Formats: sequence, structure tokens, C-alpha cells
Amino acid sequence: MSPPQQPSSTNPNSLKIRLTHRFLHNLNNLNKKRSNLDNTQIHQRYNRVKLAAYASMAHVVGSRRAWSRAILWKIRNRKVSTRHKRVDHKPTNHHHARSIKRRTTNHSNPKREYVDPNGNSGQEVKLRKLVPGVETMDACGLLDETADYIKCLATQVEVMRNLVDLFSTI
Amino acid sequence: MSSRRSRGIPRITDEQIIELVSKLQQLLPELRNRRSNKASASKVLQETCNYVRSLHKEVDDLSDRLSRLLSTIDDDSPQASIIRSLIN
Repeated sequence: MSPPQQPSSTNPNSLKIRLTHRFLHNLNNLNKKRSNLDNTQIHQRYNRVKLAAYASMAHVVGSRRAWSRAILWKIRNRKVSTRHKRVDHKPTNHHHARSIKRRTTNHSNPKREYVDPNGNSGQEVKLRKLVPGVETMDACGLLDETADYIKCLATQVEVMRNLVDLFSTI
Repeated sequence: MSSRRSRGIPRITDEQIIELVSKLQQLLPELRNRRSNKASASKVLQETCNYVRSLHKEVDDLSDRLSRLLSTIDDDSPQASIIRSLIN
């Protein structure tokens, strides 16, 4: 995938390198934790790899973006709840969503009733569900976050594809 | 509702939206190659949703393959040392 030509704060080349480093680091930690594997744990490892992928994405971007903050928060919440053996995540999520809403001074319509002038309600709602952290954002912020999210996600996919190619040939 | 917005909160201009939509369009593999100036906003949004979904699915698929590959690599094998040298 060729890097986009427009100037942006996330230079794809350095982003890719940073993502690769971080993801490999996370994968290595994964490997260290579970050295003995049988088939029943394959699914568990799959989940950990997937989590490592999103985690490294979010860590590289840090707290600069709403989507990365949302992912980092979700991960921290998951770690805390597994430590305390709490199963139900949902109340904490809503609580946090409310507090985020207070911080961003956006008081536009709640997601359910949002209809923008172009009548894009259906697509916007769907997009808000797909991109983390944008539920209460206005249209501008949503598009901006989505663009950044897509950039990072596509780079992460490229990193993973390269790793799969590498690991399957050595 | 729109009158309430324009009072204290800066109104989002159509131009801003158009600019963001076109920026988004450049990122989408489907629409990037079209020589047309801009696709309709709803089309861009639709393609964005599809693209994000497909990216998520790719992450799932690649995670699956990676996890299987990792599980087949023995810790003491030369492959593992190659991977370790990559990380350090």
C-alpha cells in the first residue's frame, strides 16, 4: 500500500517502523508468557495476538487521539477486571463514556437521533460503532478521527502481513 | 436544534466537512483511484465503513495466522533467535 502523499503528522514510514517495534515487543512478551502450548490454548493465543495488535497501535499513537485513548482505556479496564475477577464491564464503560462526554464540550444529539444535514444518519451511526472513542464526537471530529484510525489500522495490517510472511519463511 | 448550535458553539462549516470527506476519500483504496473530484459524502462514508470492517477482519485473520505460526516456533530453535534479534 503506497503511503499517502499529503503531508501529515503521522509519517507512514516512521509510523510503520514504530508499530513494528512495538508489536514485535508485545509478541515477544506473549511468547515468554506461554511457552507450552496445546491446541486448546490456540484460541487464547489468537486473542492475545489480536489484543497485542490493537494495543501496540494505541500505544504508538498514545493519548493524542480519541480512538487510541479509548482503546488504551478498554485495555486497562480489561486488565483491572481480570485481576479482580469481575466479569461485567458494561457499567464502567457507560460511566466512562459519560465522563468523556463532559470533558469534550460537545452537546450535540445522542447517537441514536443524530441526523446531519446531508441525511447521512445511517452511515454515521455505523461509523461511530466501528471507530473506537467517537461516540459523542461531532461530525468534523468523527471524520478526522476516522481518517487517522484508518491510517494507523492499515499500517498495522501491513506490519502484521510482513511479519506473517517473515515467520512463515524462516 | 440547529439554532441552538449556532449561538455559542462554533458552527461546523460545509467546507470543513467537504475537506475532511475528501481527505477520507484519499485514504480509501476503492475511491482513491477515481479521477473524479469527489464522490458523494454518503458514498465516502459507506466505503469508509466497509473499509474499516475489512481492516478489522484482516487484523483478525492475520492474528490467527500469526498465533499459529508463533505456536509452531520452538523456543530454542534458530527461528526464535532470529525473532529475538529482531526485537533487540
